[in-house]
Amino acid sequence: MVHQYKLNGYNIVLDTCSGGVHVVDDVTYDIISEFEKQSEDQLLSQISQKYPEVGEQEIKECYDQVSALKESGELFTPDTFEGMADKLKQKTAGVIKALCLHVAHTCNLNCSYCFASQGKYHGERAIMSLEVGKRALDFLVENSGTRHNLEVDFFGGEPLMNFGMIKDLVAYARELEKKHNKNFRFTLTTNGVLIDDDVIDFANREMSNVVLSLDGRKEIHDKYRVDYAGKGSWERIVPKFQELVDKRGGKNYYMRGTFTHSNPDFLEDIKVMLDLGFNELSMEPVVCAKGDAEELTEEDFPIVCKQYEDLAALMIEKHKENKDFTFYHYMIDLKSGPCIYKRISGCGSGTEYMAVTPWGDLYPCHQFVGEDKYKLGDIYNGVTNKGAQEEFASCNVYARPDCKDCWAKLYCSGGCAANAYHATGSVRGVYEYGCRLFRKRMECAIMVAVAKALEE
Amino acid sequence: MEHIKTIKTANLCESAKNGGCGECQTSCQSACKTSCGIANQQCENNNK
Repeated sequence: MVHQYKLNGYNIVLDTCSGGVHVVDDVTYDIISEFEKQSEDQLLSQISQKYPEVGEQEIKECYDQVSALKESGELFTPDTFEGMADKLKQKTAGVIKALCLHVAHTCNLNCSYCFASQGKYHGERAIMSLEVGKRALDFLVENSGTRHNLEVDFFGGEPLMNFGMIKDLVAYARELEKKHNKNFRFTLTTNGVLIDDDVIDFANREMSNVVLSLDGRKEIHDKYRVDYAGKGSWERIVPKFQELVDKRGGKNYYMRGTFTHSNPDFLEDIKVMLDLGFNELSMEPVVCAKGDAEELTEEDFPIVCKQYEDLAALMIEKHKENKDFTFYHYMIDLKSGPCIYKRISGCGSGTEYMAVTPWGDLYPCHQFVGEDKYKLGDIYNGVTNKGAQEEFASCNVYARPDCKDCWAKLYCSGGCAANAYHATGSVRGVYEYGCRLFRKRMECAIMVAVAKALEE
Repeated sequence: MEHIKTIKTANLCESAKNGGCGECQTSCQSACKTSCGIANQQCENNNK
């Protein structure tokens, strides 16, 4: 499958099944778009009429170069991967490699757009005990097979409301690592309110990654990210985030924001993050119920797309000044990204990745917590709801009819099951608005990679 | 004359030969938590 687009002065051609990326001139661009539809004579004559200033010999040259790429398997590569779609999952069946630990179903902020309804996930407030946490890690180790790297995310609500337990649990994990020859990679996702010297010291020593929630501009952030008295949190958390990042010593972090109908012009928020000294950034479209005031609208769509394009241009500009920054969705390694098995296997929720509630129930992922029919089991008895797990296990790129002809399917792996479920009622559906944004992001991400590659 | 510049990329068909070790990060872990993408992930296969 071939996808062509023009962006920032580049004519880009993606051969999605081989992973090929080509930059072509205008004549070749037009030849490629008709190459599979017309005979050589027809196409050469049509192109000659469109480009009278270009000689016939040169047009033939373009045609021959396109033919050569097809011959060498770099263009018009057929999709022959469908039969492999469940191979990786079969091979690793029963192996769990990541848990999202909901250590606190409570929060010290009261953000109106929170998909977890202020951390309660539509249930009661709760805190995970050390005993449950230890059992969750034991469960992970027991089910991890030969896999060495295990990922654990401290999530909430606000996980720092249970900081003492997190510290004790990480100490326990370090013992488990030695005993079972495993390597835990921990992540902490926090709103920053409770960050102090002790947290900074611990997070920078023990967490492979920290995800820091900041929406950018103060007025945007403080509109949603307020405490229970209705007071904005921006001024309280920004200096703490700066200190944490400053002392992080180059270890990974993400400054992660959410944009909504209030700020489809989110590039302004990214610029604020950059001005504050942060350079590992992520800005995500809001996930909310249909009809919410925060929901992104059709009118927002072109504005959001413009932000993605301008952000890409800004990244190239900063790169030239040796002031690089990263944007989560534009991090693409064309030379050594994920293999084809990974690309077609789906996101792994419910099989290799699960969320654990404060009382030890298992769900396919953090976004399904509270959806009773998707409760998979618990950390004491393992997965008992085999039917629900099978629904997720069989979710791959080829299981979603809407993905069949999408050029981006090998970049998204079929998309987010939770978004699909909330948009269509089925984990095998697609969240069309999210797909359109994803495709735009990939076009921009690849364009940035192209610009950097051509500079080398 | 060169009309096509091919950017150096990993060949996905080739990756079928030694791929599928499963050591890579889960797709949603760590950064975004609200959407899925795999293009930005690292390959962690040590036996390529």
